[in-house]
Amino acid sequence: MPVITIDGRLIESAAGKTIIEAAYEHGITIPHFCWHPALSVAGNCRMCMVHVGSHKKDKGGTLLFDDNGRADVAWMPKLQIACATTIADGMVVDTLGKHTMNGQNAVMEFLLINHPLDCPICDEAGQCKLQEYAFNHSKGQSRFDEEKVHKPKRVVLGPEIMFDSERCIMCSRCIRFADEVAHQPVLTFTHRNDKVTIETFPGTEFDSPYSMNVIDICPVGALTSIDFRFRARVWEMSFTDSICPGCARGCNIKVGIMNNEALRVEPRTNMHVNEYWMCDYGRLTTPDVINQNRVNGPHLRADGTLILTTWERALEFAAHAISSVKPSQIMVLGSAHASNEDNYALSRFAQSVVKTSNVDFIKHIDHEFGDAFLRVNERAPNAIGAHTVGIAPAHGGHTVDELAMRIRHEDIKILIILEDSAEAHSHELAEAVASVGTLIVLSSHMSVTAHQASVLLPVAGFAECEGTFTNILHRVQRFEQVLSTKDHPRTMTMKNSRWDKFGAPNDRWTKGTRRDVRPGWAIVQDIANIMGAGWTFASAKDVFTHATHHVSAFEQLNYELIVQHQGAVLGKTHHPEKNVPVYESHYMKPQ
Amino acid sequence: MDLIQLLIIVVQGGILVNVMLMSSAYMVLAERKIAAWIQNRIGPNRVGPWGLLQSFADVFKLYLKEDIVPAAADYRFHALAPVIAIGVAITVYAVIPWSGPFVTIGGVEYGLSMAPNMNVAVLVVLAMTSVGVYGVALAGWSSNNKYSLMGGLRSSAQMISYELSMGLSVVGVVLVGGSLNLVELIQGQIAHGWNIFYQPVAMLIFFITALAETNRAPFDLPEAEPELVGGYHTEYSGMKFGLLYLAEYANILASSAIIAALFLGGWDIAPFIDEAALLGLAPSSPPMVLIGMGVFIAKAFSLVFVFIWIRWTLPRFRYDQLMALGWKVLLPLALLNIAITGIVILLLN
Amino acid sequence: MATVKTNTEAQRLSFWERIYLPAIAKGMGLTLRQMIRPKFTRQYPEQRWNPEGSYRGRPVLVLEEDGERCVACGLCSRVCPALAIEVRAAETNGVKERYPALFEINMVRCIFCGFCEEVCPEEAIVMSKDYELVFGSQEEAILGKDKLLVPISQLRERLEFLRQWRG
Repeated sequence: MPVITIDGRLIESAAGKTIIEAAYEHGITIPHFCWHPALSVAGNCRMCMVHVGSHKKDKGGTLLFDDNGRADVAWMPKLQIACATTIADGMVVDTLGKHTMNGQNAVMEFLLINHPLDCPICDEAGQCKLQEYAFNHSKGQSRFDEEKVHKPKRVVLGPEIMFDSERCIMCSRCIRFADEVAHQPVLTFTHRNDKVTIETFPGTEFDSPYSMNVIDICPVGALTSIDFRFRARVWEMSFTDSICPGCARGCNIKVGIMNNEALRVEPRTNMHVNEYWMCDYGRLTTPDVINQNRVNGPHLRADGTLILTTWERALEFAAHAISSVKPSQIMVLGSAHASNEDNYALSRFAQSVVKTSNVDFIKHIDHEFGDAFLRVNERAPNAIGAHTVGIAPAHGGHTVDELAMRIRHEDIKILIILEDSAEAHSHELAEAVASVGTLIVLSSHMSVTAHQASVLLPVAGFAECEGTFTNILHRVQRFEQVLSTKDHPRTMTMKNSRWDKFGAPNDRWTKGTRRDVRPGWAIVQDIANIMGAGWTFASAKDVFTHATHHVSAFEQLNYELIVQHQGAVLGKTHHPEKNVPVYESHYMKPQ
Repeated sequence: MDLIQLLIIVVQGGILVNVMLMSSAYMVLAERKIAAWIQNRIGPNRVGPWGLLQSFADVFKLYLKEDIVPAAADYRFHALAPVIAIGVAITVYAVIPWSGPFVTIGGVEYGLSMAPNMNVAVLVVLAMTSVGVYGVALAGWSSNNKYSLMGGLRSSAQMISYELSMGLSVVGVVLVGGSLNLVELIQGQIAHGWNIFYQPVAMLIFFITALAETNRAPFDLPEAEPELVGGYHTEYSGMKFGLLYLAEYANILASSAIIAALFLGGWDIAPFIDEAALLGLAPSSPPMVLIGMGVFIAKAFSLVFVFIWIRWTLPRFRYDQLMALGWKVLLPLALLNIAITGIVILLLN
Repeated sequence: MATVKTNTEAQRLSFWERIYLPAIAKGMGLTLRQMIRPKFTRQYPEQRWNPEGSYRGRPVLVLEEDGERCVACGLCSRVCPALAIEVRAAETNGVKERYPALFEINMVRCIFCGFCEEVCPEEAIVMSKDYELVFGSQEEAILGKDKLLVPISQLRERLEFLRQWRG
């Protein structure tokens, strides 16, 4: 493999790699706008220009050094772009020297000539590559006194994308993304010189299911989200690592919250699952899944309506109901929407406390949803996980498919259903569920089944507790608590915004709704303990640790390992994959 | 004593108490005004013309304020302390010869003084100032607050220390005047000249000890704000606080009046001059007595001004300095004064 | 026995200095003289103080003839050391695409440091001369846009000052 020197460091990298790739692999970031590891090389922003040379050798092939012991380098007369120059053995690259700096500063000055510098208005401010490099590579004042070029602002490129041509630096990342990743080549440059702009071909619009990724990769604020425009500044939100609940792909995401309300979802790079991308569906619906139609506080049915009650009474009611019938008359439904921890606690509850073998969960298959890229037909995030931790009918137990019939025949008198709606299975089951003797629902959302519940216990949604999902690739991935709940504040992390860190209880911007919900495993534990089980789980981590001892597929796993390796594949837990460098195009600075 | 006599005494006492309490209230205003002038300010000027109704506003406010008694306080003594303080302060007024008699009703002569010719008036004054310490000490102790207690203790220690010197300084005056009757002492001064000329050292000692006895700066350690919050009245509020506060100023006026009587010739207009003859009036005719009363009160209030003036000029003593001054300077000086006075009187006789 | 050289207060001071009385008399004279000197008190509600342009009073938003200058960039909110400012942006159809849908300054939190003014890229928030800040409750102390927007004509002096000293 060729060995090159970058800023005095010897670096060995695979042949055929470009300088910028080799540098990135070894933690050296060369300034760039248009280069993106997932896209083809365009080489048109010129920001990554570096001074390149080769180590001189004498005729015998020995390397030459000057009197001070430094390499004697034959420098190329002009700067080379690091993104399009492949490495060669003996290459010397200078990314920090005066020559390189002068070149990069000049590029920045050119780029800023027609940039409107409307950062106060621009949504990208705070996580903008142009801003970032302007700090390092620009004088702070423009020598350009003339009127800047005016180009179209507020151009709608697609249903979710707004384009501002003045801010655009013509890096072509979006054009290449549409072409190479989204496979919808509708974007192109039009016009020439300083009038150049980006348009869709006549009669088309950029409406790919992955279109909004161009907003993330746009190094400036030229492409903005119509959905999110101006809702919050990036530094006002607290971002937390989570997993998209939209389908079983389990794309890694960051959820931005402000005032305990989810505002924005962004993909988080995970080369094993979603690379740099996520679909628009997940991006647009996840905040609503977190914020909308939620159950707040435990409810008991009285005189035909659900009435808010205390946790003690609701849990007592549930425990008493479960104890009052024969175990074989109880059916327990786990959920593909709930975490491994919740499902594990529920399956243990069914096995050792209720002692029923009627355990199953509803599958959510949507044949319309999947595609060849990220989206898959399995719509719930944790079907594999639920099955793995034991949500399956034991020997002789009823399945969910025969449940409707069993209810009608009064074989099942009590139904415990976690985080799901019978509607999702079939209309027949939904009708049957309405007539079951006692319906104990643990739900985060006011679903149809939740409305029919005898007792409704509010479960913390995936954004309100921590836990793990097992995705369609059998990869166990961890999500963290995003929102504060009434009795469990968001853990303080350095990712918290100033407002979340320093807000006092009497500040208006800290008074967002904190729902009275508890994690599923905690509710199951409470019911189990009322029935005399004596469980002592204090956190989701405890439940998971317990699961690693009792579920063979989870052996050797722990939260730290999962976080460190961005997930762990079931069956390969003994040999976790090697970490690969994670490229993030641009992120909030300073963090 | 018949009914009319009793009625007259009650009315007389009523007038005296009210006038003196009113004076105390206005001394608070005077204190604030003078402090303001010394600090190049204007002082209270919002309530009434030149702020003259400020005192009424203050007292009214104190009446309306909530009376808070700390939960751990001894509520009986907490309530008793202000009563003792103000009661003692007013009692002293009874023996102060504000004026000679100028009205005759039913064959008995009356002036502004309640007990003008009491033969042990000087001793009553000293006794009452001694009792006055109980008010402060009780207030401090009953509040059950460390600051209050410290204030009360300091007050007791200070009063005991300075009372000796005060009493001994008066002995000189008594030696010169040959009487314990204040009226007789004043008449002696009218005849021979003011005691300030015969007993300057005694006057100085008495004045300093009077400052200490009334807890005034530079001897206001019992209520040293930087150390003791409010001192003995930290835990007082409403009118109880008001009474303690008024008692303090009543004491100042009483002390000033006694200094005027003992050293500044009482109701004598000017020393070494026979004013009555100059004005062509009989020495004890009602107009002369009324002029004398005015002069006495003027002298007393001038001394009150000096009290205030000193407060806003001098910094507070340290506790050890206070004790050193009392025991090492004033006490020997007072004893020396008695000795010299005695020897001189012995030689002259 | 060796004599120890001492330098006590008693040794340093003369008799008259030690008895303090002349010094006290001097001090009394000084305070007496002060009593008759002119007073500096300003009769506040009647005589008002008009601060210079450099005075940092209540922060306000500049209102021009064609509307507010603020584009709700949120930098004032970000820089505010006391977290007194809350800005929520919204979109308009004007040349400036953004305007503050909500702009609140919590005057209980404000420390009048003027950082918001310094950081503002639009010169939209400036420190006014308003020093009469009385609030009946914490809620009342949170000033919204209705109270914050001040016509530019009233802020000329401050804007002039800023132009002069910002360079």
